[in-house]
Formats: sequence, structure tokens, C-alpha cells
Amino acid sequence: MKQNWGLNLIIVANCAAFLHCFGEPAPSQIDLRKFPATQLDEVVVPLPSEVFNVLDKLGAPNWRGELRDPVVGTRGARAQIALLLGSIVAEGFVAVEAADKERVKEVGRGVLELARAIGVEKTVLTRTNLILSKANSGEWRAVRHELDGALTDVKNAMIELKDSQLAHLVSLGGWIRGTEVLTSVVGKSYSADGADLLNQPDLLKYFQQRIADMPPRMRNDQLVNKIEKGLDEIAPLINQKITPGSVKRINEITSEMVKAIDSRA
Amino acid sequence: MRRLLILLGIFAAFSRADATVDDAISRALEAIDPYVKQGYTVRGDQWGGDLAVKEQKAIPHTLFKGNDYWFCMGTDVDNARVAIHVYDSKGKLAESDSWQRGRFAAARVFAPATGTYYVIVEVTSSPRERTTWAMVYGFK
Repeated sequence: MKQNWGLNLIIVANCAAFLHCFGEPAPSQIDLRKFPATQLDEVVVPLPSEVFNVLDKLGAPNWRGELRDPVVGTRGARAQIALLLGSIVAEGFVAVEAADKERVKEVGRGVLELARAIGVEKTVLTRTNLILSKANSGEWRAVRHELDGALTDVKNAMIELKDSQLAHLVSLGGWIRGTEVLTSVVGKSYSADGADLLNQPDLLKYFQQRIADMPPRMRNDQLVNKIEKGLDEIAPLINQKITPGSVKRINEITSEMVKAIDSRA
Repeated sequence: MRRLLILLGIFAAFSRADATVDDAISRALEAIDPYVKQGYTVRGDQWGGDLAVKEQKAIPHTLFKGNDYWFCMGTDVDNARVAIHVYDSKGKLAESDSWQRGRFAAARVFAPATGTYYVIVEVTSSPRERTTWAMVYGFK
């Protein structure tokens, strides 16, 4: 009896220690419609690194073939410069995949120039210097980290300057160029896993909503208008099973959008 | 003795007033630190705020199939307990591992498919009415 007491005590103590370390088990299923939690953000916009990290695991596409000359025009409207900034950061990721030092350095300088054009140069100065030096020494993981950081810093600086609409356009510019590259890579060697990376309907909805919330002056900008139409065209394609045909079509749409972002800059 | 009690009272008042999201961020970063050493890339952004006991917040996030994520939560409030779990868009628990150690908690997800997931944070117990918390994540 005494031994049983001892055993019970050990079991209780172990259970308490287990709960202390691992906590109460989470329910395996919840009803999201009735879920009591309030939402903190509409949706977290992933970092470009998160997508390229997966692309690394999907094989070795011809990244050099995906590179394009970065356009660093600073004559356009602020909306265009913000889109260009996002797009050029995405270009930096492609250049890292291609292990192209000179192109990465060009991107670093471009980021600085575009940031200067919208008044957030100081925010990215350290990052862009690091992009240049890390590219020189071929530290590709560190370059990716600094590119992610530059994107985040620029957006945060814009939000501080009460310019959150421009911050959304920076994210959107990156997403558009990233999606163009992703669809190009997946399209050349279609796999279900590769196509699955495009399953981002909530993220797309988030970008559509951000444009819809823009003040009319910005929303009616010719370029922003074109981008909005492009997103509307992409939406039905990623709200269903993503086929080789839809990958091709999304690539065409995003290519047109990137051309529009680059034009007249 | 009386002076010591007054000093302790002042210290307690200050530590209460000092509880900020910044401190909670430091705790969350502390929780994710072992994973940095395992090669996870930690995002520079943080999410945070304050919660009442048993109050939950959901952070929707697009996760990519093929990535391995650790979401870590922390609070600076002594004797508080927090929890973090990840569900997929159908409300199914998606994490492959999780732990809770007092004011730290973490959940790991190997995203089985690309899509929207819900990171749910909760303060399970706390000596305070509102508890500051922060969440960070890493991936590889």
C-alpha cells in the first residue's frame, strides 16, 4: 500500500512536470467560424526568403535565365517608385539564386537610389552597404537576410511617415516580380509541389483589399489601376486547382504587370 | 525593515509599469534563440500586444509547403503562462511539435501544403489583468 502511494505520487509528479513543460494539449480541431480569437493582422505577408527557400529545394532551375536588368528609374510617381522598390528587391533574390555578384551589387545600389527617391534612404543605408559587401564575399545567405531586412525597414519607415499605402505597394511590387519568377520556373518544369506554392488566395485578397482602401487619387493612378486589374485576373486562377495552364497564364499577367512597373520610370 | 519594504514596493511598482511589448519581444527572441543555432532564419518583424487571461489572438499567415517553421511566444510577466498553436485553414491542428515552459511557448510546423494557417496565441494564466506578449518566427 505504501509502495502504491509512492508510485502514485511519482505518477502525479510526472504528470505535473509534463503539464508544466508541455502545457495543456491543444484541441486537434477548432471551428474557425466560431473561433473566439480576434485577428491581429489581416494576413502576414511572407518574406521573399520564405518562397526562395522552398524554390531551393525544388531543384536547380536556370536562375541566370530568369534574371532581368533591374530598372532603377526615379522619375515616376511615388506609387511607381514603391512598386519598383519591391520589384528590385525580388530581383535581388533571383540574382542571389544565380550567384551573380555584380547583379546583386547593382540591386543593392538600386535599392538605395529608389529609397532616396521616396525619402527613406537613411533607413536602408546600412543594409545596402551590407548587401554590397556580403555579395563581394559570396555570403549568399547573409545577402538574402539583408534583402529581407531592407524590404522590412523600408516598409516600416513608410508606415512611420504615415505612408502605409506606399508600404503596401512595396510589398506588392515584390510579390508581383516574385510570382513572375515563380511561375516561370514552375512553368518550365511543372510539378504539383511547385504549383502548390501559388496557393496564396488570402494573400492576393489582402493585396486587392489594400488597393481598394487607397485614396481615389492613388487608386486612379494609371499604373495602380493596371495592377489592380491584373490582380483581379489572377484571383480566379489561384482560387482553384493550379494547372500548367493557369501557371502559364499567371506568368503572362505578372510579366505584363512587371513591364508596366518598369515603364516610364 | 520598513525602508526595505518601501524599496520593494517601489521596485514592484516600477517593474509593473515597465512591462512593455519590447520586453516581451526580448523574451520571444530568447525562446527562438536555440532554433537560430539550428539554422533557422528569424524574421526581423515581431507581433505583440497584451491579452487578458484566456483571451486569444489569431495571426493568419501564408505558409509554404517545404518550409519548416518555429513560432515562438514570450512574455515578460513573471509567473504568467502562455501558449501558441497553429491551425490550418480548415481548423485542424497543423503543428508537428509544441512546448510550453511558463512564460515561453513554441510550435513547429512543417507546412503540409501551401496556404493560410492561423497562429493562435493565448495567455493561459497570469498574475496581471493584461499580459504583454510577443511572437516571432523562424524558418528553414
